[in-house]
Amino acid sequence: MTDLSLKVHQPTALDEVLDLLSQHRGDAKVLAGGTDILPKMRAGALKVGHLVSINRVAGLNRIEFREDEGLVIGGGVRITDVGEFPDVQKHYPGLAYACSVMATTQIRNMGTVAGNLANAAPSADTAPPLLIYKASLVIVKKGGRREVDIDNFFTGPGEVSIDPTEVIEAIRVPTPSPCSGSSYMRLSARSKVDIAAVGVAGLLSLDTSGRIECARLAQGAVAPIPQRCSEAEEMLAGQEPTEDLFGRAAAAGSAGCCPIDDVRASAAYRTAMVKVLTRRVLGECIERAKGGI
Amino acid sequence: MAKQIIELTVNGDRYEVAVEPSRSLAEVLREDLGLTGTKIGCNQGDCGACTVLIDGRSVASCMTLAVEAQHREITTIEGLAASLQNLHPIQEAFVEHGAVQCGFCTSGMIMSAKNLLDKNPSPSEQEIRHALSGNLCRCTGYTKIVEAIDAAAGNLAAGPDKGEQP
Amino acid sequence: MKNPSIIGASLPRLDARHKVTGQAVYTDDLKFSGMLYGAILRSPIPHGRIKRIDASAAKALPGVRDVIAGADTPRIKYGNWRLVPSSQDELPLALDKVRFVGDEVAAVAARDPYIARRALELIEVEYEPLPGLFTVEDATAEGAPLIHEESEGNVSLVRKIEYGDIETQFDKAYLVLENNFKVHAVNHAYLEPCSSIARPDEGGRVTLYTSTQVPYIVQCLLAHTLGIPENHVRVMKTQVGGGFGGKMELRPWEFCAAFMALRLGVPVKFTLTRDEELAVGRRRHGMSIYTKAGFSKEGKLLAKDFQVMLDGGAYNAMGPTATFLCGTFGNMLYNIPAYRYFGRHVYTNKPPASAMRGFGAPQAAYAAETQLNIAAEKLGIDPIDIRLINGMEQGDVIPEVATVSSCGFKESLQKVRKVSGWDEKRKNVKEGKGLGIGCFSFISGGVFNWFDTKYNFAAAEASVFEDGTAQLACMACDIGQGPDTVLRQILAAELGIGIDKIRLISMDTATTPKADLGTWGSRVTLMNGNAIIDAARKIKEMLIPVIFSELDLNQIHDIGFGDDRVFVKARPKKGMAFSECVYKALRGRRGEPLTARGFYTPRNKGLVSPAFSFGAQVAEVSVDQETGLVKVDRMYTAHDCGVAINKMSVEGQLEGAIQMGLGYTLCEQFVMDGGRTLNTNFLDYKMPTAEDMPPSEYVEVETYEPEGPFGAKEAGEGLAVPTAPAVAHAVYEATGYRCMDLPITPEKVLAALEKTE
Repeated sequence: MTDLSLKVHQPTALDEVLDLLSQHRGDAKVLAGGTDILPKMRAGALKVGHLVSINRVAGLNRIEFREDEGLVIGGGVRITDVGEFPDVQKHYPGLAYACSVMATTQIRNMGTVAGNLANAAPSADTAPPLLIYKASLVIVKKGGRREVDIDNFFTGPGEVSIDPTEVIEAIRVPTPSPCSGSSYMRLSARSKVDIAAVGVAGLLSLDTSGRIECARLAQGAVAPIPQRCSEAEEMLAGQEPTEDLFGRAAAAGSAGCCPIDDVRASAAYRTAMVKVLTRRVLGECIERAKGGI
Repeated sequence: MAKQIIELTVNGDRYEVAVEPSRSLAEVLREDLGLTGTKIGCNQGDCGACTVLIDGRSVASCMTLAVEAQHREITTIEGLAASLQNLHPIQEAFVEHGAVQCGFCTSGMIMSAKNLLDKNPSPSEQEIRHALSGNLCRCTGYTKIVEAIDAAAGNLAAGPDKGEQP
Repeated sequence: MKNPSIIGASLPRLDARHKVTGQAVYTDDLKFSGMLYGAILRSPIPHGRIKRIDASAAKALPGVRDVIAGADTPRIKYGNWRLVPSSQDELPLALDKVRFVGDEVAAVAARDPYIARRALELIEVEYEPLPGLFTVEDATAEGAPLIHEESEGNVSLVRKIEYGDIETQFDKAYLVLENNFKVHAVNHAYLEPCSSIARPDEGGRVTLYTSTQVPYIVQCLLAHTLGIPENHVRVMKTQVGGGFGGKMELRPWEFCAAFMALRLGVPVKFTLTRDEELAVGRRRHGMSIYTKAGFSKEGKLLAKDFQVMLDGGAYNAMGPTATFLCGTFGNMLYNIPAYRYFGRHVYTNKPPASAMRGFGAPQAAYAAETQLNIAAEKLGIDPIDIRLINGMEQGDVIPEVATVSSCGFKESLQKVRKVSGWDEKRKNVKEGKGLGIGCFSFISGGVFNWFDTKYNFAAAEASVFEDGTAQLACMACDIGQGPDTVLRQILAAELGIGIDKIRLISMDTATTPKADLGTWGSRVTLMNGNAIIDAARKIKEMLIPVIFSELDLNQIHDIGFGDDRVFVKARPKKGMAFSECVYKALRGRRGEPLTARGFYTPRNKGLVSPAFSFGAQVAEVSVDQETGLVKVDRMYTAHDCGVAINKMSVEGQLEGAIQMGLGYTLCEQFVMDGGRTLNTNFLDYKMPTAEDMPPSEYVEVETYEPEGPFGAKEAGEGLAVPTAPAVAHAVYEATGYRCMDLPITPEKVLAALEKTE
């Protein structure tokens, strides 16, 4: 049960947020949607004396896209809004899909993409897409701002490279190259509402001759952190996109994951599914790259 | 156990309540404001029985802190109908189409339906089902709920006359 | 008559308006002055002795009013089978032993729920752990420690059935199949967690508001465990948010609420969390089933040997009935010349299994129907044809059980065959797709008086008034399945008045007539319906004389009731308004109100049930051969529930049953680790959502059940039975994987596909 002595701060400016986090260092957590934090606190898995809400802070709620700059998602933007943003659907279909199917309607309305990343579940649905889209996180603390590539963001199950006194101000995602196609697919036993048992995201950029110029593949829920599969990516780079190539890349992706057995699926099943999903994701990427998105 | 005095606007009414910051909106609605139409089915954000609208959006009120719901427009099931005789078209459709059995999921279902139809006045069956992904029901198999929402969409589109009780 | 008959109408529920506006009151919605909040301390270990309990720190916590443990209570055991006292093996709070993770050990009442839960943490309990037994095999192994000292080898009861010459029939058989099946435990997952409030009344009496299916059983057993007279306990209606069999017993928190309310003199409320419900709530019996069946070359069933071990969990609960019924379900639906059943109810250190929609039938049918499908394939006979060869018909006898007085089974088979396109689809098999069939027969209430009540099984009181309205008082319990509407339909039809003129007083053990055994086994429509007809007949007997004297009839005519009038059937214009008739009768009776009670208990109906429903269901699936995911594309169901009193309600039952059946088959299961349940939230206990449901078609098969009110029999429980075998059969047709142990998970499908490659 939640401790009744919990204090909830509701600052209206980012500076105040950072001050509070600093002041209560180690005993404070950022509160956005609360959809991860509150269940944990209720179950006694997270004990913290202070919540610092960012829900009244101006400037964290914008979502913008510019061809030359890419996408900027403010730290307070809700998952539903990201999924429904027309430019996200157009340029980042893998992210749009993740944001439209993960969890439930209510949780998508309440939760933020930043929060989904910061919670750092290995199964976070927005992570694999953001990994393949080369996202970076703008993180602020009292006295400074830094940008972290998402590749370096996840450090362990439930662990990210954010200090307890820092806040994700924005997620920046560069514009994918025009001849590229991307996709995200996920699986679990009930197949719809669950925490994904397996997730795979892919991005293929083609050169003018139709060869794969650049490939990015990422997996969720099959390793301690959402991760890229560099072996498969290297296998794909510079090659003609063929079914045979995709099959080999899928096998490499499968070999590169290390899932666990848990209540949602067995390690063996997850490993097998990485192969299946990787092939399907690559197939969808090629279709989208060729046909335009 | 320091309580805070907060102001909640629920169904257009302003309430002042003293609550501990850790208390959920669902609890405060039910225990402090006497609005027990919002139900608690799991208290973990999974079942949707506690769904209310905040600024028109469906949220799980069991996962929303009451203090965070200040300065927002909260709509609960009690705020939909003008009276027992004059129901909202969604409520009317639920009654007419047999979408209510034990009734425990009903408030949440209707609030999710309202969110959907406010955003998307003529949803497909798939869109309706997707919108209800966070509302569990053990009695109805969802069929008549989906039919009711579809019918309500039609009634709302047809205009206020069609939506009123015959 | 101008108005269409109310029987068979698709009528919206009369309580729906209250539910859609949030006005319907469920137990947790209630609050009383001075009310305290309760919480329960539960055993963290699956099996052990309690050495010491120290509640002093908890009692000292500010805001805590009372802490009780087993030793503080009257220590009286209880269980639903009052007929067999040795089966009553539960205590409200553990005394010397705990037998499952979650077993109730102590309870707290405090000023608010936070303090109550905080107090639980301060209660010190010292346990001496004992070895835990988590499978029926382990529990029945030689030398296994006893979970209950009184049982033999952890078997709490057995049932045997035998008729016909089974060995000779097996010898004669052309094909003999022996198969082992394993089915798993699942949860009722009703949306409303259990909640109870006890209010002390004067004179040592107590009123209980509680989320229950069985107010009368709760009344009796609560009084029993409190050590007070039965009528000192009053159980009153609140809206109940689903039960499905999981709320059909006295529960520890009901006792704790009442006990502490009486001790403290203030109301006490307990509401369970979903964690508690999933971790320690009742479950469907998992079973290990061995079944041997013999067939002639033409596909005739000759003999069946059916052996079941029910995984009962730590206490009997409704296990005895499941054990009993499982044996009967093993030989319903088909005529079998020789049959043998041996069912054993086994204790294990897990949450007790109890009644759950279907009550042993889903498990028995899974085995029986799957085996029948195996036989059909081996004999080269179409699976529907083999059922037509063996299926029961009206007039057939279920040996030592009953004569089947109405039966639409074969018609169900033929209709489902047609509507599903069975024949063409089986000829044009598509890769990864399959069609499968499962069938059911189910009881309409039970005859066996295991509760040992001295009262009738169902009762109703009807009153009519000079304003033309009526009141129906009935203990029958609406848990969402709709009797609050159906029973009024029956009274409206009998009295010939508009249903809007009938008020319902329900579920109050002090004022609604004794008794009603509760909502389970699909008994309410048939039994309470008949009680209402009995009451209505008596009311009509009070009104008919008025017609004769007022209209000065010089012949004896049949009198009709309809359109709010009472009239001569042969000359409908001769009559008067119902209200006027009542007024005159009231005058004639010198002001004595027109109130009559009706009763029903099945008589001469054999050992099991007064009537049986039948049906057949076809499932169409597509299996993704790479992921093993099973997608149910469409369901087709033909179903005989006699006459459907409320068509919309019957459809609703079917649609809901499919959700439960699909969950049972594909995605619901408990993940256990040494007696501890790991998935105790709805995220990880996966039941189908709106997005998971397939489209479904339904064909009605109407028969007329003479024992049923207006020909009705059960609808809703039998429908929970066919989905598992139908889907499993379809998966087999699509993949070659025959699932012998539910649920059908993608992992199992994939593993089976890989084996065949």
